[in-house]
Amino acid sequence: MCASVKYSIRGPALIPRMKIKHRIYYITLFSVVLLGLIATGVFQFWPHSIESSSDWSVEKRSIRDVPVVRLPADSPVPERGDLSCRMHTCFDVYRCGFNPKNKIKVYIYSLKKYVDDAGVPVSSSISREYNELLTAISESDYYTDDITRACLCVPAIDLLSQDALRVRETAQALAQLSRALLAGGGFSTWTYRQGYDVSIPVYSPLSAEVDLPEKGPGPRRYFLLSSQVALHPEYREELAALEARHGEAVLVLDKCTNLSEGVPAVRKRCHQHQVFDYPQVLQEATFCVVLRGARLGQAVLSDVLRAGCVPVIIADAYVLPFSEVLDWKRASVVVPEEKMSDVYSILRSIPQRQTEEMQRQARWFWEAYFQSIKAIALATLQIINDRIYPYAAISYEDWNDPPTVKWGSVSNPLFLPLIPPQSQGFTAIVLTYDRVESLFRVITEVSKVPSLSKLLVVWNNQNKNPPEDSLWPKIRVPLKVVRTAENKLSNRFFPYNEIETEAVLAIDDDIIMLTSDELQFGYEVWREFPDRLVGYPGRLHLWDHEMNKWKYESEWTNEVSMVLTGAAFYHKYFNYLYTYKMPGDIKNWVDAHMNCEDIAMNFLVANVTGKAVIKVTPRKKFKCPECTAIDGLSLDQTHMVERSECINKFASVFGTMPLKVVEHRADPVLYKDDFPEKLKSFPNIGSL
Amino acid sequence: MQSWRRKSLWLALLASWLLILLGVFPLLRLAVPARPRAGAPQGWPSWLDAELLQSFSQPEELPEDSPQPPQAPRGGSCNWGACFDTSKCRGGTLKVFVYPVAGPISETRRRILASIEGSRYHTLSTAEACLLLLLSPDTPAGKCDPVPPQWDGGRNHLVLSLHPAPCLRTFQLGKAMVADASPTVDTFRPGFDVALPLLPEAHPLQGGAPGRLRQHSPRPGVALLALAEERGGWHTAGTNSSACPWDGRCEQDHGPKQTHPGATLPNATFCLIPGRSPDALHFLQALQAGCIPVLLSPRWELPFSEVIDWTKAAIVADERLPLQVLAALQEMPLTRVLALRQQTQFLWDAYFSSVEKVILTTLEIIQDRIFGASAHPSLLWNSPPGALLALPTFSTSLSDFPFYHLQQGSRPLDRFSALIWVGAPGQPPLKLIQAVAGSQHCAQILVLWSSEKPPPARWPETAVPLIVIDGRRKVSDRFFPYSAINTDAILSLDAHSSLSTSEVDFAFVVWQHFPERMVGFLTWSHFWDEARGGWGYTAERANEFSMVLTSAAFYHRYYHTLFTHSLPKALRTLADEAPTCVDVLMNFLVASVTKWPPIKVPYGTWHQEARPPPLAPRGPGLRQEPQPAAQDCINQMAAGFGRMPLVSSRLRLDPVLFKDPVSVLRKKYRSLEKP
Repeated sequence: MCASVKYSIRGPALIPRMKIKHRIYYITLFSVVLLGLIATGVFQFWPHSIESSSDWSVEKRSIRDVPVVRLPADSPVPERGDLSCRMHTCFDVYRCGFNPKNKIKVYIYSLKKYVDDAGVPVSSSISREYNELLTAISESDYYTDDITRACLCVPAIDLLSQDALRVRETAQALAQLSRALLAGGGFSTWTYRQGYDVSIPVYSPLSAEVDLPEKGPGPRRYFLLSSQVALHPEYREELAALEARHGEAVLVLDKCTNLSEGVPAVRKRCHQHQVFDYPQVLQEATFCVVLRGARLGQAVLSDVLRAGCVPVIIADAYVLPFSEVLDWKRASVVVPEEKMSDVYSILRSIPQRQTEEMQRQARWFWEAYFQSIKAIALATLQIINDRIYPYAAISYEDWNDPPTVKWGSVSNPLFLPLIPPQSQGFTAIVLTYDRVESLFRVITEVSKVPSLSKLLVVWNNQNKNPPEDSLWPKIRVPLKVVRTAENKLSNRFFPYNEIETEAVLAIDDDIIMLTSDELQFGYEVWREFPDRLVGYPGRLHLWDHEMNKWKYESEWTNEVSMVLTGAAFYHKYFNYLYTYKMPGDIKNWVDAHMNCEDIAMNFLVANVTGKAVIKVTPRKKFKCPECTAIDGLSLDQTHMVERSECINKFASVFGTMPLKVVEHRADPVLYKDDFPEKLKSFPNIGSL
Repeated sequence: MQSWRRKSLWLALLASWLLILLGVFPLLRLAVPARPRAGAPQGWPSWLDAELLQSFSQPEELPEDSPQPPQAPRGGSCNWGACFDTSKCRGGTLKVFVYPVAGPISETRRRILASIEGSRYHTLSTAEACLLLLLSPDTPAGKCDPVPPQWDGGRNHLVLSLHPAPCLRTFQLGKAMVADASPTVDTFRPGFDVALPLLPEAHPLQGGAPGRLRQHSPRPGVALLALAEERGGWHTAGTNSSACPWDGRCEQDHGPKQTHPGATLPNATFCLIPGRSPDALHFLQALQAGCIPVLLSPRWELPFSEVIDWTKAAIVADERLPLQVLAALQEMPLTRVLALRQQTQFLWDAYFSSVEKVILTTLEIIQDRIFGASAHPSLLWNSPPGALLALPTFSTSLSDFPFYHLQQGSRPLDRFSALIWVGAPGQPPLKLIQAVAGSQHCAQILVLWSSEKPPPARWPETAVPLIVIDGRRKVSDRFFPYSAINTDAILSLDAHSSLSTSEVDFAFVVWQHFPERMVGFLTWSHFWDEARGGWGYTAERANEFSMVLTSAAFYHRYYHTLFTHSLPKALRTLADEAPTCVDVLMNFLVASVTKWPPIKVPYGTWHQEARPPPLAPRGPGLRQEPQPAAQDCINQMAAGFGRMPLVSSRLRLDPVLFKDPVSVLRKKYRSLEKP
């Protein structure tokens, strides 16, 4: 670089003679400079280049140069863990304080090297897994780097392996954590403090090392398999007896003795002289035995789950990993140790369908909570989080249901079987813009219904004031007018405070043809189906095979999948759902198109309850000369196209077609029966 | 040329300097090893040499686990595997022997014993029993029993005390399980002991009052919060609910505090219950009232915590953070509040509303432990109708039951089995068989031959299999869970029932949408007879009904299992003695499970005219008042159930175009409209 600069300075004198040569020089010079500039630019400003990726503020240190702490030999050894600890006695919740996000904050102590008086390290350096664990925590939402804000502190002392641990000295190092909440991989019921400690899985290193594709559930070659190597002779005898009794169906594996050099022993198991690959062999079995070893917790559990083999836990007093939240009954069989000899018949008595379900569940547990150190760490923190913020806890279903079940299932928000008292009555909501005359007729008609308890008029016209009080029809129930800020269709479904009853009757301002008997009967039907939409005019959605999309149908069909909310009863809870929980942009879409609010409501209710609508009373020809009643409007061709479009749009937003098709409608018990009309409760039904 | 050259030279010079400035610094930084900055570290460092870290276990070697022999239980502690001998439970079923009480026996206790004796668990021989039950005295002053004869160190014993018994035991509990009201968490042995609720003195023995929540509403109560008081009352605190908009944000209005010493049930959304043991009594009150219990650091184990998922119905909070709890309650999403409230009501009604339910639940939990893998799945315990009414002996697969199709995303099989009961006259119902076999949904026809006459050797040719089962001449036989029934739906019929194929088709299509209910053609309704001071029922045609006749009805085959295995024997015997009673009993059973009325579908009037005069005293179309003896049956049933479970309905489900003014050709079920 310097040379080239020097050369340029001398340049001018030589130019006349060496013109062509110089030009080459200049070109070379410029190229070099340009390339240099580009390179520097890239180097400096490239966001993801190797060097700049490590932001200079983030530490990148060697594990070897961490501060050393010397533990004097006489430093206190903590008392044995307090066995009576519970969340509300030993856990300092004040440190967790109020947290609007309901998330605990976790702090990690910085890594120190503890040495004893003689300078010998107390523990070996942290293990790879422990490093992964701490990294996972520090990358999660729970992490904080401010110890004053933290409510849970994690020591940077690796306790994962008991083998390399000097117990007394480690205890000294942990002296400040005597009442620590322990997350450990092999609790027994004798030491486990229910609701305080967390039993976590023993991580299997094979999870990361071996690639084991998922194998679907179903019968497998071996019914029962034992793959553990270090077993007490007593257990081994029992297993051998099982094998002798049931032959081919049971396979008991052991260490291989005659392996050639270079074959990792951990990846092989032998039965007599037959060599099996481990963990692949687990996929050949339906049930896999998990016995107690030196410790209760066994890494084999993780391998077994991964293989989709149902673990048969024979270890009395073992607290299964995450048993506080995971329902192990769904993924494992627990057999008392004394019943070990009967294990075969116990397992045979489980129906095939249940076994397959367990296999699926076992694999799902592994995927969700055992797969990696990170998964284990996050599940542990979630459990502690749920204890500290119980009102924001994750539910049983969230922990235990595999995604396929979650997708297909519906949890009805109104699941309690309850018939609301008739005395409560219903609130009628009339959405109106400016058809005052028709509105008044509707009000007069509806007010004749015995169970009406309140009438609410939603005045959707901002440019015009509602008529004066004196002009409104005088009715026996309170009448309220609500003025809206904007002319939106969704105003009809707003959960107004004025609605004090559970039942809501949504009615258009031009529906004057429904008799009082029909409306009263509709309310009675709603009481028997309070979690459904109960309405008068019914509609149907159909799959159009030619166009390959959904079609809206208003003809006289034998089936119904929707009711129009121009006249329908429903629970006011659905108003709340419509206003605050409508998925996607449906609400805005409806308001923008000024159409399909009723279809959206049908979708919403069917999706959340999984149930069909109830159409009440026979079909009426809505002969109403001065008003464009629902039927008259529906006949319009463009209207039909638009409605079909709505169905397709909503189906794509919901990701499924929630509407249910039924072939029935509700009529009074004695409808059209040969019975004196005078004695019928609802005689005036279906008349025009 | 010259100027161009000079300009370009200067440009090159400038560029070179820029290059040096930009380039050297990073290079310098690279050359000098990075020093950790002073100040707070940002997260767990990513170690430069993380690759060099050792795994905590050496994957190349096999784990050197020193094998350990089976463990013997340590002194004092017991768990299920160590202290209960399941081998005594022959066939894997729980049989319970109750020690007789020496001396005078209180009425309460007598009825508790009676309800255990009526249950399917009871046995009279200690040899057959795998659980020996010892009832603690129910009065605080009562004397404790001496050591029972078969004590055996307490093995396979359950000491059940519904009320905290302060008496000194004359013996060590040893290996006996303890079912205690609100045990403290320190002595409770999870998975071995059973935690009972603390029941008030006057808790009903049977049936019990339903929950107080009358509507699906998040906040029907006037107050947001009620506080349990020491004297046993409740203290409601302000915050008017009507001022709470539906998005759940209530204005902070700690209005005048009110105390209602007389009111035993709180009228609020949340009930704060302190953690001391005596306050456990408030827990059940809150549950019944539909007031979500908020337990502040309870020192006692929640009732039946082994099986009930209390996070769905109650909130366990930390008493040290009252403000945080209050804020969280106010912020709680409405959907959650609604779900919690409904769950309180379900749990109350399923497990707590009567002493009998509490005891049966206790036994059911112990049976589940014996069952192991075939115990109730958690969902059966925690969703309606509850584990006492959903028997795992029927199936452990949820989609086999009629109740969980929505949760499971499954649907019932779209075939049915017709079960035709042939009684006394013994006429083969040929016409009926043809009509039923004509249905496209019919999978098979089962004829239950209960007549003295031998069944005919030849049966008509049908498109579906026809199986003749020899009945035992008992009316309750028709609800026996025959293994031949392989569909979810059963169409129960009498020999003299008369139905058309399209009636069957339509009724079945309706049933598929209501698999937990009975769908029938002919109905009865019950009423309260003021004059007689009891219940009565009538077959008169009326505007409402509450029972459908099982001589022509669709229902789920699970109800056969429930009828045979869960109903008290006394009620089934009653039904056998008065045959009309069997319909009442079946309707009682289904209504007490579903809490909904049955469903009526249209039934052609022409059947009555076409039929020969009825020979049997009962059957469809026969509009005859039930006999006085039968009238009494409903009262005996109501007494047996402890309440009146029947619910009335005022509607009938018809085909969508039923009798509509439209061309008959458009209608799918046109033959239903025959005049």
